[in-house]
Amino acid sequence: MAGLILVGAVMQYRQDRRNRYRIARYQAWETRLSDFLFRKGYEHGDFGPVAWADRWLFRDFLARYQSSIAGEESELLRGLYLDIGLHASLPRRLRDRDPRVRAQAAKEIGAFRLDEPSEHVAPLAAERPWRWKPGLRLEGYLDRVLPLLDDPVPYVAHTAALTLTQSRNLRYAAPVVAWVMREELYQRERLLRVLEGFGPGLLPWMKDNLESPDQNPGPWILFALLAGSHRHRESQPRLLWLLDIPNVDLRASVLKALIILADPAIYPRVLAFATSPAWEIRTQVARALGVLGGPSAVPDLMPLMADPVFEVRRNAAQSLVDLGHAGVSALTWLAEDPKADRFARDMARERLEWADERGHL
Amino acid sequence: MDLVKGGRLFPMTRHWPAHTTVLVVEDDAATAKIIQVRLEMEGLRVLVATNGMDALEIFQREAVDLVATDLMMPAMNGFRLVQEVRDLPPPKGRVPILLLSSNHSEQDMVRCLAAGADDYMAKPISVQVMVERLWRLYERSHRAG
Repeated sequence: MAGLILVGAVMQYRQDRRNRYRIARYQAWETRLSDFLFRKGYEHGDFGPVAWADRWLFRDFLARYQSSIAGEESELLRGLYLDIGLHASLPRRLRDRDPRVRAQAAKEIGAFRLDEPSEHVAPLAAERPWRWKPGLRLEGYLDRVLPLLDDPVPYVAHTAALTLTQSRNLRYAAPVVAWVMREELYQRERLLRVLEGFGPGLLPWMKDNLESPDQNPGPWILFALLAGSHRHRESQPRLLWLLDIPNVDLRASVLKALIILADPAIYPRVLAFATSPAWEIRTQVARALGVLGGPSAVPDLMPLMADPVFEVRRNAAQSLVDLGHAGVSALTWLAEDPKADRFARDMARERLEWADERGHL
Repeated sequence: MDLVKGGRLFPMTRHWPAHTTVLVVEDDAATAKIIQVRLEMEGLRVLVATNGMDALEIFQREAVDLVATDLMMPAMNGFRLVQEVRDLPPPKGRVPILLLSSNHSEQDMVRCLAAGADDYMAKPISVQVMVERLWRLYERSHRAG
């Protein structure tokens, strides 16, 4: 027992010592970095030496800025990272047995944009490592990240996908889209955040490269959701074309995107789906009519208040609340009408109470 | 006048009045430090807070001319901070606010501006651009009186 306590104390002591050392290094580097970016560091021409033993710590220090600093400062940070020469070990680290090392390597390639050409200079580290190879080319790092999409550890594959999308290089669009399609259906909407990294340029690529939606509608669902999240109005004609494909999930996703694009001119096209046998489609129509039609949509929303499916009734009622005076008047009339459909009346009362509690009335 | 830093040019087209104070609200100390150093180079007085609660306290205590705040922070987020500032009587309630966020969604942008922020920048930010935007906000608010 005493031995265990002693081991624990020693481990705690070592951990504390490491933390104190890290904090001391970070504080010293923060001052030097500010000088390097904005003050005399420029006049002197460099950041100053970084001890070879501190190179991993220095990498973590630099990585802290990559998510918040852009522009010229970001370029200078990238230069500092290249100066310590750690990128030379990336090919080995991408194949490391430890998944944390693989993921970190992929992250570094994305954060420091290692596929972009850069003038290569020798490391600042006081002691040059024996494995340092001058003249190492920066191109090709993203190709080495590609196999990690098949990594057995989901976190590593996810990090690799993020790195590839953040490059905005559409050469990697096909493998990343294929990776998303291999994931479970419920995960796909979450993974949209990854695909968004490619930017709106992915949508024309998808339009040109995806298989026909009749054969494989899955990727087109992603297309529709991405068109919505990017508010990509140029994709609206293709979305309307996709509405003709008889696939429930695809139509529901297209309607979601059309709600976001909010073009009133397509109201009649959407209204045609109000009587669809699929409740998933009617649910989206109930939201879309309110957004696209404004107060004039009230007569079309009223029949949906009596829909046999709860979600459709709830969305129709919510649309009416969102329409303001015209919609609320219709709901109030429905709530007080003894001859109205029982489910429609209950839903109208429920939404009016909901809106009243939140001060929307 | 331009400040030349070893080949790097910081155009000094801005003439900040003496004692102009900027409150920087950022929970990431490393980013806050970078921003602080750059703003101090402009001759500004910079106050730093790591969350909305502290920021509000500083804001009420000190004479602040501009606020640059992060969106996602512990204790009180950027939205709440903007709302609390806007609820104060003028002139404090009218101080220009620049929101910084790592969330790039359009909805967030609209939410920020609707909450009363004067401008919005998505992270990662260029500190140079941020300084320029703060100057524009300052100029506009002083022109409006």
